[in-house]
Amino acid sequence: MGRRRSGFPGELVRKNSAFWLQCLLGLALVALVVLVFRTTQSNLELLGVQSGFDFLWKKAGFSISQHLIPYTEDSPIWVALAVAILNTLLLAVFCIFLASLLGLFVGIGRLSSNWLVSRLSLAYLEVFRNIPVLLQIFFWYYVALRALPSLESSIFISDYLVLNNRGLYFPFIEFANGFSINPPVMGRFAYEGGFYLMPEFLALWIGLSLYNGSYISEIVRSGFQSVARGQWEAGTALGLKPATVLRRVAFPQALRAVLPPLTTVYMNMFKATSLAAAIAYPEIVSVFVGTVNNLAGRPVEVMAVSLVFYAGVSFLVAWLMGRWNKRVTLRGQ
Amino acid sequence: MVEAVLRLGRGMALCALAVLPAGGAFADTLSDVLERGMLRCAVIEASPGFSSIDANGRRYGFDIDNCRTVAAAVLGDADAIEYVPINPNTAFTTLQSGGVDVFPGGATWTFLRDTSMGLDYTGTYLYAGQGFVVRRASGVSSVTDLEGATICVAQGTTNEQNLADFFRARRMKYSIVTFADVERGLNAYLADRCDAFTTEVFSLAGRIVALRNPGEHRILGDVISKEPFSGLVRQGDPRWRDIVFWAFNSRVAAEEFGLTMSTVEEMRATTEDAEIRRFLGVEGGFGRQLGLREDWAYQIVAQVGNYGEVFARHFEPLGLERGLNALWRDGGLMIAMPYR
Repeated sequence: MGRRRSGFPGELVRKNSAFWLQCLLGLALVALVVLVFRTTQSNLELLGVQSGFDFLWKKAGFSISQHLIPYTEDSPIWVALAVAILNTLLLAVFCIFLASLLGLFVGIGRLSSNWLVSRLSLAYLEVFRNIPVLLQIFFWYYVALRALPSLESSIFISDYLVLNNRGLYFPFIEFANGFSINPPVMGRFAYEGGFYLMPEFLALWIGLSLYNGSYISEIVRSGFQSVARGQWEAGTALGLKPATVLRRVAFPQALRAVLPPLTTVYMNMFKATSLAAAIAYPEIVSVFVGTVNNLAGRPVEVMAVSLVFYAGVSFLVAWLMGRWNKRVTLRGQ
Repeated sequence: MVEAVLRLGRGMALCALAVLPAGGAFADTLSDVLERGMLRCAVIEASPGFSSIDANGRRYGFDIDNCRTVAAAVLGDADAIEYVPINPNTAFTTLQSGGVDVFPGGATWTFLRDTSMGLDYTGTYLYAGQGFVVRRASGVSSVTDLEGATICVAQGTTNEQNLADFFRARRMKYSIVTFADVERGLNAYLADRCDAFTTEVFSLAGRIVALRNPGEHRILGDVISKEPFSGLVRQGDPRWRDIVFWAFNSRVAAEEFGLTMSTVEEMRATTEDAEIRRFLGVEGGFGRQLGLREDWAYQIVAQVGNYGEVFARHFEPLGLERGLNALWRDGGLMIAMPYR
């Protein structure tokens, strides 16, 4: 659009009025936001509900089981918010990684000439795409993870990796006397390791990844199918191995078709981490909209912060993916 | 043009805020309820002793009788209620935004809730405290044994904060799993996700008795907090707050007067006691003072019963004793404000 020149004077006039119309609409929008804000404020005042963001600096007074940064009950609420945000992002990153991996392999598997592989991939797709993701999360949390053994009969995946119904425990890594890796030790109530993943996290990770992986697999499949047949044949004719053709010829071209829809799936997956509130994983909806809202009694402010966070990260994801997309787009097209 | 946009904006802003009443200062809940002919009462569902549904689909429980108490006083019909199911997370917001008229379902009276949320408490109707349940097999016999344990709790409750305070004061490590409501938290405990579950003792006892194998669990003797439960209404409507307060007060008064569901009718006809006559609306015009009918308190006693009857109906089957909730003259904390 930018490149095209507007040659007709009439078009210029139309453009001019369009500009003013947009200005007016923009102003109206701002006015609307200000009015909503002020009306809300005065309404809350009339109701005797305190408002403002000062509560963020009050002492939190509640505990959060998983925190990536130092946090105690004495920390201010904004630190609790940061903990919740990091927990949300951690889950999102884990899910995006696993779902992409699953989607890639299943998508390629669907195109495989091996009957078993393509059928298995199809079965995966049909099962996980057609069940609501919340139900899948409940399944992993209430059925699958609850089938895990209790503390006494924990599963040792290796000497250093312990799995039971309290989570997945990783070894201690100590730097005190040189470098040493120590297995998790059993305490009275739980294993104590250097790091552990709580069952809520595991259920969400598995549930969200399997569900979204099925969508990604379809995107990947359509991406590869969009690569012209001649490209595959040309690669083979050059004497390249099928795997090399896939990696060096088909994949870079498929990526162009894959990235835009993939952005949507990533964004949906990020937003779907809020389902964590249903099974007690301490992410932003659970900690902030749940606990803090009740503690501080500031529903409007709490919701505003949460909305800004989700919108902000979604924009960021879209922007990053957009940049990546630009980089792989064919020049001259 | 600008004005039109502003007008439009203002209209939309008002639409967006339609959930909020136009202003607390002139909200009149009583008129709304009388006009509607129904009391909108918030209840937390599936809480044995407090709020359950029987085989015929009828709600019953201590909280439900609290709703019925207010409905009997205001509308003369204890069943003219529209129940609005909520969870502890949404309770206060629902009440603030006018979604319900009253929330009589186990909200602990605390300073911050009272002063910052635009809500008013209407008087303590039950004195509880926060307790713990553990598996007998775990060998835990007191809360201090729970060092290092994982504890399940419901979100947005005072329990969550009491727990943090208690363990922090004793420098005990613990891990917490916070569920959206008591039901889910207890289920997680039962599935061995946690070593202990904590909530206030009345609700805890009710839920444990209802289990298939209550003998496998043990409610610890320690109670780590005071949980005075009070009804809640929106702030800025003093008449409505008075009505709810005096409705609850009437049940305790009835027990003090010796009035029961079965004797109240006869007593109304025969009693010479001036206070009881004022209470039951035979004389004094007290109902009009509240904006209600003269027989408002009579309807409460006749349809719901006195405090002791209500307590016995819901908590005695669970093996719970009156304790702090006995009348003051029996060594408890329940005392009725005088009708004069």
